[in-house]
Amino acid sequence: MHLDMDAFFAAVEQRDHPEYRGRPLVVGARPGGRGVVSTCSYEARRYGIRSAMPISEACRRCPDAIYLRPDMARYTEASRRVMAVLDEVSPLVEQVSVNEAYLDISGLERLFGSPARIGRLTKRKVFEAVGLTCSVGIGPNRLIAKLASDYRKPDGITLVAPDAVQAFLDPMPVANLRGVGPVTLGLLQRLGIRTVAQLRALPLELLQAHLGERGGSHLHAQARGRGSDRIEAAGQRQSVSKETTFGQDVSDIHVLKNCLRQLASDVGHTLRREGLRGRVATFKVRLPGFETHTRQRRLGEAVDSDVAIYKSAWALYEASGFIGRPVRLIGLGMSGWEEEAAVIEDLFTPREARDRERRLYGALDEMALKFGHRAVSLGVKKGRG
Amino acid sequence: MKISTDRDTLLKPLQLVGGVVEKRQTLPILANVLINTGKDGMTLTATDMEVEMSTHAKVECDTEHDLTLPARKLLDICRSLPEHATIQINVEGDRAVLRSGKSRFTIGMLPAQDYPAIDPALSSERFTLTQKKLKHLIDKCHFAMAQQDVRYYLNGMLLEVGDGQVRTVATDGHRLALSETEVDDPNGIDLQVILPRKAVIELSRLLEESDNPVEIEISSNHIRFRMQETVFTSKLIDGKYPDYQRVIPTGSDKQVFSDREMLRQALQRTSILSNEKYRGIRFHFTSGLLQLLAHNPEQEEAEDQIEIDYDGEELIIGFNVGYLIEVLNVIDSEQVCMHLSDANNSCLITNKDDDSNRYVIMPMRL
Repeated sequence: MHLDMDAFFAAVEQRDHPEYRGRPLVVGARPGGRGVVSTCSYEARRYGIRSAMPISEACRRCPDAIYLRPDMARYTEASRRVMAVLDEVSPLVEQVSVNEAYLDISGLERLFGSPARIGRLTKRKVFEAVGLTCSVGIGPNRLIAKLASDYRKPDGITLVAPDAVQAFLDPMPVANLRGVGPVTLGLLQRLGIRTVAQLRALPLELLQAHLGERGGSHLHAQARGRGSDRIEAAGQRQSVSKETTFGQDVSDIHVLKNCLRQLASDVGHTLRREGLRGRVATFKVRLPGFETHTRQRRLGEAVDSDVAIYKSAWALYEASGFIGRPVRLIGLGMSGWEEEAAVIEDLFTPREARDRERRLYGALDEMALKFGHRAVSLGVKKGRG
Repeated sequence: MKISTDRDTLLKPLQLVGGVVEKRQTLPILANVLINTGKDGMTLTATDMEVEMSTHAKVECDTEHDLTLPARKLLDICRSLPEHATIQINVEGDRAVLRSGKSRFTIGMLPAQDYPAIDPALSSERFTLTQKKLKHLIDKCHFAMAQQDVRYYLNGMLLEVGDGQVRTVATDGHRLALSETEVDDPNGIDLQVILPRKAVIELSRLLEESDNPVEIEISSNHIRFRMQETVFTSKLIDGKYPDYQRVIPTGSDKQVFSDREMLRQALQRTSILSNEKYRGIRFHFTSGLLQLLAHNPEQEEAEDQIEIDYDGEELIIGFNVGYLIEVLNVIDSEQVCMHLSDANNSCLITNKDDDSNRYVIMPMRL
């Protein structure tokens, strides 16, 4: 079963601000700046506004809509409560984002009844918990469940029984399938393929010839309604990263340094909260003209401290040769987790210094929890910025 | 212009300078080797802008001429020709033609005047060592250099001269290696420079076990090694090397003596079932006996024990076995001495009766 909250961020805003209800509402970047629409209400969708559309485009289509900046803290809180409800329904829940999750509901009939009943029950429980609607899709695998939850939105429920899969898929436009973006879509259109039924008529070899071995077999399987039915609870993250897009291109090295420090402290905070230590540092920079570069380096040891994350990202930036050029976006991340169990002490960092560092970050994280994120952060010695 | 030579006369110097050429270059010409011909032969030079190697080959040349040829291709051609084959290289227009027996190769050239040269400032300090001594200094410690550490000054080797001694130090923060010897002509030099990793590795390849002298010249940002036929120049790493003296333990109260080869073999065996990533091994020292224990994530286990010369109190300590094996590989003496204090403090390893080579290893929490 796949569950998708309806226009999640916008719905939270409309729930908390009755005056917004029934009006087009856009959550995303600041109008007039750059950036994109994150979520928009169903009223706004009537104007053709969509997620990931540039904010300027949205403004053009509906200048009278309410434009809000996202308030992640409130959305995360609502999301947490939704996930708590889902955990009560099924022991196997895989959260894929703040507003989406897959549930394995096989074998729950004795407890809750038929799949359709489980779907309705979940929707009701979610509404009782957070006052928001969601759409539910139930199918024999992830692909069908996801397509089904999208089928009747908002506040819908769609059940596709195993023997109804083909009838459900056949009339769908191929664009609904996973991995069909503008490029693949254009290619399929040139082949005269518009619906899944037409796609299914193509032999595997032909698809592979056009889309590569993996892409071809992937589409071939999807057209037959075959998809993974594995649901993995809370798969460990592969990486933690943060990035910032500037309103205007920045070349001031101090601004960039400060920005990287801030990002490093965000990433460091997440790492420590989740008990992760990363050995691989990544630095990302986007120059004017969408020219994006990333650099990666394996560190001597796994780290989770703000300073170490910042330093390794800065070193990558320095080595990249892009210093001095205007920057549109800058970001950093950590991956390559290692357990702390086998840490070797550093010759030049005495044990006391490490313990002190651990206590310092412990206190910082606690304050962030109490007074809000970014309430306190590490300072920089004057003149060394 | 015509060069004629025996294959082997050309191959050896070409292999030597070829090591400097990087697989991927920032400038196309850095893939080439610079050739300056003269009456008494030719000089081959290669650089990656950080290090530069120049060596002489006694080949026959008819005129003075400068050219550059692709290093990799030239080397591959020479290597694939039969031993002692006669080689002739002619410059014809913007191409060089290499002939040997029935083989003929036409090779592209790039203009010699574009070849970048490292131009060190006037050297202020110079001293001399025999090749053998310098080779030992490097070989005894280069394995402990860091690789791609953010502390960029650790990605190299410290060379320090003072009080008539010359010393090399390498460390990656988890282990440290130090080697020292006397300078042949001290004349009051006192300096500390950091050689980049690549320079250290090339030098170790270049130096021979001979008593021929190496003249070392150091300027503010370069170091140059002059040997009979070959000159090697490198940039220096600009940075402050950490205070290594501070981390060499002095107050260790436990001294363990062991047969080097026996210990090395036991460690090698035990390491097979250690965690591949961390390579941790538990050392359990008791009077006269060392027990080794390793596990891996698959719950496999290796145990070994060897006799040692020790009569202090019992001690259990963990080490990265790779670090220890690397140290035991470069120690010459039959007996080694481990100086220990407790499970949290570093271990010093020396020759039994001579401490000109010192190795420090941090323990691991297991």
